[in-house]
Amino acid sequence: MDDDDIEARNARERRKRSIALALVLGGLVVLFFLMTIVRLGGHVLDMP
Amino acid sequence: MALVDVYAGPEQRIATVGDFFALLKPRVMSLVIFTGLAGIVVAPGHIHLLSGFTALLCIAVAAGASGALNMAYDSDIDAIMARTATRPIPMGRIAREEALTFGWWLSVASVTIMGLFINLLSAALLAFTIFFYVVVYTLWLKRRTAQNIVIGGLAGALPPAIGWAAVTGQVTLAPLVLVAIIFLWTPPHFWALALFRSDDYARAGVPMMPVVAGKPSTRRQIFAYTLLLLPFGLAPAALGFAGPLYLASAGLMSAWFLFGAVKVLFERDEVKEPAAKKLFFISIAYLFVLFAALIAERLIGVAPFGAWL
Repeated sequence: MDDDDIEARNARERRKRSIALALVLGGLVVLFFLMTIVRLGGHVLDMP
Repeated sequence: MALVDVYAGPEQRIATVGDFFALLKPRVMSLVIFTGLAGIVVAPGHIHLLSGFTALLCIAVAAGASGALNMAYDSDIDAIMARTATRPIPMGRIAREEALTFGWWLSVASVTIMGLFINLLSAALLAFTIFFYVVVYTLWLKRRTAQNIVIGGLAGALPPAIGWAAVTGQVTLAPLVLVAIIFLWTPPHFWALALFRSDDYARAGVPMMPVVAGKPSTRRQIFAYTLLLLPFGLAPAALGFAGPLYLASAGLMSAWFLFGAVKVLFERDEVKEPAAKKLFFISIAYLFVLFAALIAERLIGVAPFGAWL
């Protein structure tokens, strides 16, 4: 493999890593939101 | 001398997503998820489906984090052993420091999420499990004593208790029996592996039982631990929290395990160790079937023996 190939390959892998990280963070945001709703349960409607 | 030279130079490539996934020891993780799920499913009481999923996710991530930390701290011996030489750190695809950061952050995240969304007992047990696997087993016992996997086995045994605690907020006799099953299963399982990988361990200087005490002694100890394990395998039915499906499965698997252990006891082929290879496979099947039967009974509604009394 020459340097250009490695450079291109690394750029592709870096992009895949960024996408994976974005998916994990997005998943955590959704999980935190849904778990908050679950923890609040029916009390979410008990507004003073 | 390392089997694989650390990869470096102008062709240095960055770590892929797959490399980081391999760092989590996915095969070990799958067994931990399975036994943790059994704890959640078998525990009395109700847990919201999403809470159950979150608890299981935390158990899985903590197991993966422990695996990553284990690979980071053991990267020197992993490079020497054929079984582990192709892991991401010895191959030079991930730096040791990178794996340490990855592992510790995942550990902190899994324990924090468990504590915030599930309960403090399950979070504390999860933190203790990571501590026990990384500090007590990997850093302290593994290179010092032949009892490494016996004591260290506690870390791998705790997931059913963590799952149970996530549902009930407490730990009772029943989850402790499940812990005892995995704890007593660990020595025959790993020593069977060590019997046919003993050269690897000897080269890496890891004092596994066949290296330190010799193969005949290891065979006797595998047999002794099997005899200790089998009653515990049947205990869930005797104590009333498992039913007839479990009893039948555990009975059959116990007989197969005992047969395998007897074959190992009288094995004379010290080069190929066919009986040890077979027992290693039987041990995985044994644990899988026992916990699958526990889960299946709950899912299809087979009443445990306790409900009949």
